[in-house]
Amino acid sequence: MFKRDKDPIVDVKKGLMIQDVRRKAIDDAPNSPLPKSYKVNELAHDLHPGHIKATLIKREEIGLNSYLLTFRSLSENERFPYFEAGQFISVSAKVNESIVTRPYSIFSSPMEALKGILSIAVGRDGFFSSYLIDIMELGTKVIIGDPLGDFHYNSLRDKKTIFGIAGGTGVTPFISMIKAIEEGSEDFNLTLLYGVRTKKHLLYDFRKLKNPKIKVIVVFSDERVPGYECGFITKELISKYIPKDSSIFMCGPDKMYSFVSNELSQLGIDKNLVRMEHNSIKSIDMENPHEFELKVHLRDEIYTIKAKENETILTAFERSGLCVPSKCRSGICGLCHTRLISGSYFVDSKNDHVRLADKKFRYIHPCASYPRSDMELDVPPLDILKEL
Amino acid sequence: MKKYDCVVIGAGNGGLAAAVKILLSGKTCLVCEKHNIPGGFATSFKRGRFEFEASLHELNGIGKGNLFGGTRRIMDELGVTPLVEWIQIKNAYRLISKKENIDFILPFGIDNIIKACDTLCENGGIEAKKFLDLSKTVYEAVAYIGECNGKPDKEVMQTKYYDYLAVSSYSVNEVFESLNTPEIIKNVLSAYWSYLGVGFDNMSFVHFANMAYSYFLMGATVPKSRSHEMSLAFEKRIHDLGGDIFFNTEVVKILTDENGHVKGVELKNGDIIETKHVIANISPHKVYANMLDEKAIPERAIKLCNFRKFAGRGLTVFLGLNKSPEELGITEHSYFVYNSSDSVEMYKEMSAKGHYAGQATCCLNNVNPGCSEEGTTILYMTSLFFDDVWKDVEEKDYFKYKNEIASHFIDEFEKATHTNIKDHIEEIAIATPVTYARYAGHPEGVIYGYENTYKDNLMARVMMVNEDAFIKGLRFGGAFGERGIGYPSSYTSGYNEARRTLKDMEEDSNV
Ligand SMILES: Cc1cc2nc3c(=O)[nH]c(=O)nc-3n(C[C@H](O)[C@H](O)[C@H](O)COP(=O)(O)OP(=O)(O)OC[C@H]3O[C@@H](n4cnc5c(N)ncnc54)[C@H](O)[C@@H]3O)c2cc1C
Repeated sequence: MFKRDKDPIVDVKKGLMIQDVRRKAIDDAPNSPLPKSYKVNELAHDLHPGHIKATLIKREEIGLNSYLLTFRSLSENERFPYFEAGQFISVSAKVNESIVTRPYSIFSSPMEALKGILSIAVGRDGFFSSYLIDIMELGTKVIIGDPLGDFHYNSLRDKKTIFGIAGGTGVTPFISMIKAIEEGSEDFNLTLLYGVRTKKHLLYDFRKLKNPKIKVIVVFSDERVPGYECGFITKELISKYIPKDSSIFMCGPDKMYSFVSNELSQLGIDKNLVRMEHNSIKSIDMENPHEFELKVHLRDEIYTIKAKENETILTAFERSGLCVPSKCRSGICGLCHTRLISGSYFVDSKNDHVRLADKKFRYIHPCASYPRSDMELDVPPLDILKEL
Repeated sequence: MKKYDCVVIGAGNGGLAAAVKILLSGKTCLVCEKHNIPGGFATSFKRGRFEFEASLHELNGIGKGNLFGGTRRIMDELGVTPLVEWIQIKNAYRLISKKENIDFILPFGIDNIIKACDTLCENGGIEAKKFLDLSKTVYEAVAYIGECNGKPDKEVMQTKYYDYLAVSSYSVNEVFESLNTPEIIKNVLSAYWSYLGVGFDNMSFVHFANMAYSYFLMGATVPKSRSHEMSLAFEKRIHDLGGDIFFNTEVVKILTDENGHVKGVELKNGDIIETKHVIANISPHKVYANMLDEKAIPERAIKLCNFRKFAGRGLTVFLGLNKSPEELGITEHSYFVYNSSDSVEMYKEMSAKGHYAGQATCCLNNVNPGCSEEGTTILYMTSLFFDDVWKDVEEKDYFKYKNEIASHFIDEFEKATHTNIKDHIEEIAIATPVTYARYAGHPEGVIYGYENTYKDNLMARVMMVNEDAFIKGLRFGGAFGERGIGYPSSYTSGYNEARRTLKDMEEDSNV
């Protein structure tokens, strides 16, 4: 440490010697080998492995037209991380010439992940889901993008009781939450209003639940069942069941969102108090969509591909088999962040979540953007998809 | 095989500045970044309707008009200035310290500081001035030494900068002591210590004076669209100058030839890039332990690493609040909320597990009112750990543990400022050493590079920079470089290592 002297001349001399002090300290330091890794960095890797190679080990129909797909990681040192119940993963697979990635809410619980199991519920909507249900064989290799998203309970942000509103397979994140509460990995109360078409469409047998922290009210839209609510999730139903002092979480199809949001606003509930899981951005229905040409840079490789005006730019990449990153498919997570070199595009303002500076310097999220001209783009590649 | 004059590993501040400097001299340069965006810590992220700044509390050395410092000079030379909009911060900080019962706002500007200190105790202004005058001499001496490329004129040093020589082996606290600075003045002027990350018994006064004086003198700024704006501005310069930048591209090996000189790098996907010059924007610890052939590493490189001490590991709580700063009663941009104003005591407390000692907290709206929707607030609180206190956290306890810690931070802020934050949290994100370890990949989640201790102080590092470069063709820029942490330091060291690399290239061609 420092030592001051009475004589300033001595101090000046010391000041000129700071290099010698440092040099000597290096001389005296041990030459023991440097650590190859650190515990905190290992935990970081366990929690966020990035992408995990996995395989489909089980598929079963759990509700009419809904299937439970279970994956296991391919290697011991690349297992699924612990996560916050309600989060989603992405699943990437090769379908014909396309390399496709889609987000799915996790059905299984955080503790199950530590045991190497991860499952998702897949409904028959869209081409990749149909592939997963009808075509993909058990044992097929997929790449799973690690858990992400804010659709989970947070003790500092949320009230101790969550009021969940779910529609269809939108119940999946709530099932993970229920399992988490039951196994003790999460601690909060959940009251769930679950809208589903008929008894046959139910994804989970809620009657077996005995935990006082969990209350599920099933609402059938297409049939009357004694002892159950029936119809849509209206403001009357909401006021009947909403617990005092709760945070509202909602997950379901876009149609349900617009209907229920309207009901909620009639109840005077501020939309910013409702946490909504985001849905994938779809293709736009259009006759004879125009086709554009995209020049795509992946590092120092250049590809020229076709892109339809009614499909997102990400869809065009995937159709051409390019190995590019994506995850949420709703414009939010930013994993597909791409530099626009030239050309124009369209993005719906409600899906436009690029950062401020991205706007200024012309970066886009291809998962939320549609081409409006020929374009030139610089995309960060995702090499691991080549292993599919 | 692809070939470049220089490859930069990592697109953090240091890597970006280095690349632009190399490209400006007409050399070819490739930047490899393992993430999909540039900036390293200098970035932003979105949660709900909020865009959070990931790291920057305040940027020093931009200044305004004719009063500007090193950061601005580099931004000008690299052509970044016209691409970024900076906003000036009003006051330096509000210090709320429990132990001494201080609640004080320190303004920017030397005269303003002196005036404000006059209200603290008798002769407070005069006493503060003594300290600031000495800081000024040191600040100017360091600039002079820099201008002379480390070889200053002895005469000039012994006349004009005599005071610099006299105190250059002093710690900050020793300077306070020898000036007999009143306790309260010392307290309010040392609050800045946590941005430098070493207790003031072990920090060279030269380092402090060099960093803090310019901060006091010319104030600080933030870029309008978060630090992501600066990082993208640098990226644009790299493209405009014909450079390449590969994202999602991790470098796993630095390759050397039979003489131990750099000959290329290997990427994670197996590709090899040929180059004779690498500027690493990452830690020497990582490079020597994992990325080089052991035979190429001299013993002294290992000793140098073992001699050094990792500086602070970070923790930040990001809050998006559903009330405006006025409604919440948050009046300032920068707060230091400390248990004590004694940097030595604080440093010790921050080295022990479970201990909370203080926080540096910013309300972005109070400098950049448009940063979030009307009726909302962005607040972020940062603290440091001076030891590896997160190493025993278990995977399944991680989320709960970080919320517990964050809760404590918020409580302390509420108590100190008499505000209610907890009832208004719309979005929250918590970055821990684990997050930082994942994001930048530095050991133990260190965000502050190596500690600028007495023995490893700034001036000694700068003077020994060539002696510390053990492998021909390999240099280190960024927070683990010569100047240590912070935006100005990481940009500057990247820039300086590029200058040195250009010199190395000249020598190559002379051989
Ligand atoms: C919460 C917080 C608050 C801060 N506040 C301030 C402040 O107010 N003012 C201030 O001046 N400073 C502040 N700092 C410090 C400042 O952010 C850092 O000192 C600075 O950004 C470090 O820059 P760097 O050049 O060292 O690069 P880093 O940001 O460390 O970036 C290194 C880059 O290298 C990449 N990389 C790592 N390994 C590899 C590899 N093998 N291959 C390819 N790429 C790789 C990483 O992905 C990363 O992008 C703060 C930091 C934090 C975390």
